[in-house]
Amino acid sequence: MEDAGPDGSMAAEAPRHFAPWPPGVEPAVPIAGYGNTFTHTPSQPPIRRPPTRTEVTGPLELWRKLPCGDDNLAVLAPGRMAQGQLIHIGGRVLDEDGRPVPGAVVELWQANAAGRYFHPNDQRDAPLDPDFIGNGRIRTDAAGRYGFHTIRPGAYPVPAPGAWWRPPHVHFSVLGPATLSRLVTQMYFPGDPLNPLDRIFMSVPDAAARERLVARPIPPEEVGLGWLGYRHDIVLRGRAATPVQP
Amino acid sequence: MSGAGGEAAAIPISQHTIGPFFPQTFFRAGDNDLTRLTAAAAPTRRGEPILLRGRVLREGGVPCINAILEAWQADAEGRFRHPADPEAGAADPDFAGWGRAWTDVEGRYEFRTVRPGGFREPAGERAPHVSLLVMASGLMRPLLTTLFFPDCAAANARDPVLALVPPARRPRLVALADGEAAGARVFRFDLCLRGPAEEETPFFVE
Ligand SMILES: [Fe+3]
Repeated sequence: MEDAGPDGSMAAEAPRHFAPWPPGVEPAVPIAGYGNTFTHTPSQPPIRRPPTRTEVTGPLELWRKLPCGDDNLAVLAPGRMAQGQLIHIGGRVLDEDGRPVPGAVVELWQANAAGRYFHPNDQRDAPLDPDFIGNGRIRTDAAGRYGFHTIRPGAYPVPAPGAWWRPPHVHFSVLGPATLSRLVTQMYFPGDPLNPLDRIFMSVPDAAARERLVARPIPPEEVGLGWLGYRHDIVLRGRAATPVQP
Repeated sequence: MSGAGGEAAAIPISQHTIGPFFPQTFFRAGDNDLTRLTAAAAPTRRGEPILLRGRVLREGGVPCINAILEAWQADAEGRFRHPADPEAGAADPDFAGWGRAWTDVEGRYEFRTVRPGGFREPAGERAPHVSLLVMASGLMRPLLTTLFFPDCAAANARDPVLALVPPARRPRLVALADGEAAGARVFRFDLCLRGPAEEETPFFVE
């Protein structure tokens, strides 16, 4: 309640914490060659509403409901290492004022080094790695930091007429402090020649916004020689929207 | 981006679809039960237990399989255990208020929860409601909608969010009473992601 106003009514101020999405950041839909963006996206424009208490709140102890701690995807069990380039992806979860978001639940999933997912929906003719499942869930620490040890995912083709190849990417789902800070996104690798050909990546209109989806390589001394390091900060919606944890 | 401990303004990162491969291993029994803080915890004893059931359909009335729904709502007294609620201290400590469900091959989902209470805030008097967030392959951003209850006509008529919806589309946001199951009243709420304008579920943006 540290932010409560003189009348004790934080609810009156809370809506100010959430500004509309800046222009150019949200993907433009539908996406040619991605059929589901035509059949699933509503035909009617969304109805704009001011945020109410339901949208500016969310579960603060979600890790109790969604158990966290799987931060090493590369080692399935002692002695069972996944195939591929060992990497570490780490960074901070921040709000729109650059404040760390502690206690956010971060879910990550990705394809294996051959570009195939451990998922019944992925029936592509590429090898499965018996030592790689490819997903994990952790929560950010007091400084908003998260980190995963994993392997660099492979590219894979989109199974559609006139299809293209998805560049190596990692899926993120982040559950922050409010309904409006909920985020699902994907992270890309710097310099991959498939990035500018990916219609999902390129659906983000603003070039600077696309750049923020690309991880930065970090020097070996920061992550250790065993793992190729990438830094990826994730900014959630909300200005100073991160409540002080009790 | 700011340095350590920085307060510099930052721009939120772009949203993307979950794609077709959201891990099934992320789901556990009890994820769709809002009445429990953890899978092992006892359910809250405050409020009336209810079931929310429905189907998610896409264009052509085709079931939307492998969609994920996340529910968030106030407790039975209309309070949130969150600092943005001035009455957070009195909120039900045993009520999670959050759950995640995923649709089966017929597009069906289910949540177990308690009937939420309404509450008053500067925008007006909120009728009892449940916030639903929908994610699916091809949805480049999650869809947000709100479920209202059929036996709250007077409160619904005063709700400042429902008032923003064109009158002809409002019935799509009101669940239907659908009998009882497992000792709880059932409310049915179908979501049409894309269809004729009068059938499509109204979605919101803030
Ligand atoms: Fe993918």
